[in-house]
Amino acid sequence: MMVAALAALASGPARSEAIHRGRVLQFPRDHGAHPDTRTEWWYATGFLGTFEAPTHGFQVTFFRSRTGLAEDSRSLSRFVPRQLLFAHAALTDLGARTHHHADRIARWSGDGQATLAVAAVHDAHICIGRWQLRHDNGTWQALIDDPALSLQLTMQRTQPILLQGDAGFSRKGPEERQASHYLSEPQLATTSPLGSGRAWLDHEWSDEILHPQAVGWDWVGFNLADDSALTVFQLRRADGSALWAGGSWRPAGGSVRAFAPDEVTMTPGRLWASGGTGARYPVEWALQTPAGRFTVRSLLDAQELDGRGSTGTVYWEGLSELRDDAGRRVGLGYLELTGYAGRLRL
Amino acid sequence: MTGATTGATTDGPRLADFARLAWREWRHHPWRHGAAMLAVALGVALASSVHLINQSALAEFSSALRATNGEPDLTLRGEAGELPDTVLDTVALAPGVAVASPVLALDTYARLADGERASVQVLGVDALQIAPLAPDLLPRPAESEDRLATLDPGLVFLNAAARERLGVADGDSVQLQAGTDWVALRVAGWVPAGGTPLVVMDIAAAQQHFGRIGWLSRIDLRLQPGAAPPPWPPGVRAERPQDAEQRVSQLSRAYRVNLTVLALVALFVGAFLVYSVVALSVAQRLPGFALLGVLGMTAAERRRLVLLECAGLGLAGSAIGLAAGASLAAAALRWLAGDLGGGYFPGVTPTLQWSPAGLAGFGALGTLAALVGGWVPAQHARGLQPAQALKGLSSLEAPVVSARPGALLIAAGVALAFAPPLGGLPLAAYASVACLLFGGVALVPAVVGSLLRVLSVPGGALPRLAWRRAHFQRHTATAAVAGVVASLALSVALTVMVTSFRQGVSQWLDAVLPADLYARTAGSSAAAQQAWLTPAFVADAAALPGVQRVSASRVRSLSFAPGRPAVTLIARDIADPAETLPLLEAPLPPVAGETGVYVSEAMVALYDARPGTRLVLPLAGTQGNTSPSVVILGVWRDYARQFGAVTLDAADYRRLTGDTRVNDLALWLAPGAELAAVRDALRALAPDPAMLEFGAAAEIRALSLRIFDRSFAVTRYLQAVAIVVGLVGVAASLSAQVMARRKEFGLLSHLGLTRRQVIALVAGEAAAWLAAGAVIGLALGVAVSAVLVHVVNPQSFHWTMDLVLPWWRLMLLGAAVLAAGVATAALSARHAAGRAAVLSVKEDW
Repeated sequence: MMVAALAALASGPARSEAIHRGRVLQFPRDHGAHPDTRTEWWYATGFLGTFEAPTHGFQVTFFRSRTGLAEDSRSLSRFVPRQLLFAHAALTDLGARTHHHADRIARWSGDGQATLAVAAVHDAHICIGRWQLRHDNGTWQALIDDPALSLQLTMQRTQPILLQGDAGFSRKGPEERQASHYLSEPQLATTSPLGSGRAWLDHEWSDEILHPQAVGWDWVGFNLADDSALTVFQLRRADGSALWAGGSWRPAGGSVRAFAPDEVTMTPGRLWASGGTGARYPVEWALQTPAGRFTVRSLLDAQELDGRGSTGTVYWEGLSELRDDAGRRVGLGYLELTGYAGRLRL
Repeated sequence: MTGATTGATTDGPRLADFARLAWREWRHHPWRHGAAMLAVALGVALASSVHLINQSALAEFSSALRATNGEPDLTLRGEAGELPDTVLDTVALAPGVAVASPVLALDTYARLADGERASVQVLGVDALQIAPLAPDLLPRPAESEDRLATLDPGLVFLNAAARERLGVADGDSVQLQAGTDWVALRVAGWVPAGGTPLVVMDIAAAQQHFGRIGWLSRIDLRLQPGAAPPPWPPGVRAERPQDAEQRVSQLSRAYRVNLTVLALVALFVGAFLVYSVVALSVAQRLPGFALLGVLGMTAAERRRLVLLECAGLGLAGSAIGLAAGASLAAAALRWLAGDLGGGYFPGVTPTLQWSPAGLAGFGALGTLAALVGGWVPAQHARGLQPAQALKGLSSLEAPVVSARPGALLIAAGVALAFAPPLGGLPLAAYASVACLLFGGVALVPAVVGSLLRVLSVPGGALPRLAWRRAHFQRHTATAAVAGVVASLALSVALTVMVTSFRQGVSQWLDAVLPADLYARTAGSSAAAQQAWLTPAFVADAAALPGVQRVSASRVRSLSFAPGRPAVTLIARDIADPAETLPLLEAPLPPVAGETGVYVSEAMVALYDARPGTRLVLPLAGTQGNTSPSVVILGVWRDYARQFGAVTLDAADYRRLTGDTRVNDLALWLAPGAELAAVRDALRALAPDPAMLEFGAAAEIRALSLRIFDRSFAVTRYLQAVAIVVGLVGVAASLSAQVMARRKEFGLLSHLGLTRRQVIALVAGEAAAWLAAGAVIGLALGVAVSAVLVHVVNPQSFHWTMDLVLPWWRLMLLGAAVLAAGVATAALSARHAAGRAAVLSVKEDW
């Protein structure tokens, strides 16, 4: 789950009936877009190299946002901005200690035949210009092409799809309507020209994510070296206290155990101040979950995505390690921190 | 003989010595040299102010253009105007393209609070892509607006000019004309782009509101660093940002060059005045030069002294001129429009742009003019024989005056008049005018000679004396009347040119305004795309009481060639082309099965569209996706559209395009019908009265001629200035001659001539020379006007006209100059003789 960007839609469209408890997700249809809902994202994160010695971290995110504009217009213009599609990509080079990111944004009329920017409904086929993310038969492919970075990722499914929350219905706030449909694909076997590794893919869509009191959220998704998967998140108030929390644990070969809000505690540790935006991010965390106590530490502090000049969002998203109680590294994954560069504009 | 006498040997006299000598001379004759200096200053002032105004207007227009065009690496446009928007798919994904930003640009009208209309440019943009390409066009929503305001189809973003013109603020509603409707949109913020009123909105909204779904005006591109542009789809052409600026510059170039040349004319006359003044100053100082020569000044040094004087004169004049020019330009930009009446830069209020290179150029030109003027006298100073001059013999020598250089120059001028334009400008023709003028001036002595030979020697001592002296001293006549010849010639040329042009325009207006009342939807063919009427309206108009007949026309702009300004297409009823169009010659008969069109003269000059040949009309872009090939049946005269116009029959146009819209109406009234009543009825018929602009034929005619006269007012002013400068030349040279002839006058008074008779003598001589000057000036002026009318105008503006010689006005002009010259001569003789008499008594010891 993630990002702030989209939550930033003030005059939202009418609520869709698409988000409700008990809805049975069907694949590949539900890998595809749900244009009736307000906000949707496909989030691929991961590392290249081995658990012991990772070389790179990567993040490829595609967002869809229903604008609510020209909804009832019969305009035939191919430029009608009924939907916005945007994408963020980042590459962390642990050897060179660098972090590069790029983004794209485009309008989409909702026409499935569009070529410049489109999000298909029958399966995950999303493209913005030359950037794309697609799913075919258990394989996800991401293509990112920019002067700042270029990524070609093939991510193969090795485990069943992980449905978060109640069979894919994930609460995000004290009220039932603050919820999303949320599924994860942990432990994706990944290959790319830069090397091979493991990835994690989230797909989430919703009509309302942020409770009015929430200023942002913190999220982690870890592939453990023993093939287990850990998800933890919380929605934060302005004073830093948790408004809502959740997550899940799936041991290798086992079934998923969802966490209730009161079962999870995320405690911030060391702070890193961004020189660019001035935001201060907790880049180390202590986690208390029904699956055990862990600590999270970023592998590189400077993994901030500064989109002030383009899509307007500023957040921290970076490759981190998961340590167990004994301080041993047990997994690698991504930590996401939003709402630290000033309150999210809602 | 050398000047090597002392230590200053090798370098001869120092600059300071020369300067001291020159300064003495100027102090003795301040007003004479002052006049020459002012003449140079005037030329430099006019030329530099025209240059500054042009530069400022162009810079302002270019920066407004840059603001609306942004700074893309490349811009794609349709070969025939608009682009199908599907092209964006191919282009945005083409290798090497980083960002592709679609833009739909339209000219239309906004409704003002008082019900009137104001023209605005509407830009439909994709706010998500435009920021890196044209940041000044990125909509800035007001604080209270939603973040998605830039995409909202109901919102618009206005630049400062639009806010001021329409008198609106954030939150207010604006109404924009789309065909026969008003579209109401809310102002939700601003754009920083400067220039003319600009309304920016989302591209999808612009396509929808203005019926342009499927079309784009352009696609701006940012290429990937180092990437070569990919091949573009057919029907698409790529241009660099500077191409658009060049096209704008092209629009007004001929007009600007003509204005500059006109301003340089003053400098040209200034050079003649320098010649007059310096020639006589040298003649007068011959004893002085001789003395200096005997004391060791070499011939080359004497020449250098004179040239140095001229350079000083030129430099001082140029400095004054540049200062005056800058003030003039600042004043003109403040009080007048930036286009000096040419109408090329509408809506632009430029600030003064300094152009050091240009100013330095005009300063150098002013100095050069002074040096050219002083060249012949300097040669004279060099060639003098000091011993003889000391004895006072040199002035008695009548040099052999050869007519050959003058004749050669005239011949060269005639030859140059037949040269083709250079780079689209009549540069050879300007050179021809210069050759004719110089040649004519050089021929003054020869003409004085033949004129006096033709006239018999008059009876009476005094006239005989004047006649003899005028004939004998005719080589000095050039100096005395050169300015008059040049200024009279230019005045005559401008008078003839303006008269011919005005008559041409007047006859043309008769031909193009046959109806009683005219109504139009838009002032420009670009705005006509968005402001139009339906055929039903035309039918209703025809049925109005008092209306006998209605002829409707459709106006569109067509792009025939990239980099060239658009051509206007006019579709209207052409029952009898010879009746309804101001054709140059009888039209060709229509060809069966072919569509015939009639083109303006500019089409022939720019696109070689001669009668009998074929022309492809780039009509793709709206209804009917065609580019039909048509036959040219005739050429008509058009003084309104410098860059070309094509007329075809309305029925043919509708058949080719399916476009039934109408922009202009011509109405013939029934006998006895009241014009005002018909106009009111028509206004009531319109969807909104503000959507129609009316003009009665007589009003349009009068207005057009008034605009014509206003834009040529500056030439009248220049004529007057030129003549005054010429007369100052006469005064300067004659009074100098009188001073030089004080011994002769002393002798004459000893022989019993009264002072009055001496003055009459001088005036008589001057009259003889001035008569020759007037004859030459008139003849030259007519020759120059022929070059202006038959070469400069067609080459600059691509239209022709008949040469009209207003004889009585020209004679009057010649006579006036002659009379003013003789009066000036008499006055300066009287003034000079007063002092000369005193001196002559002193010398006559």
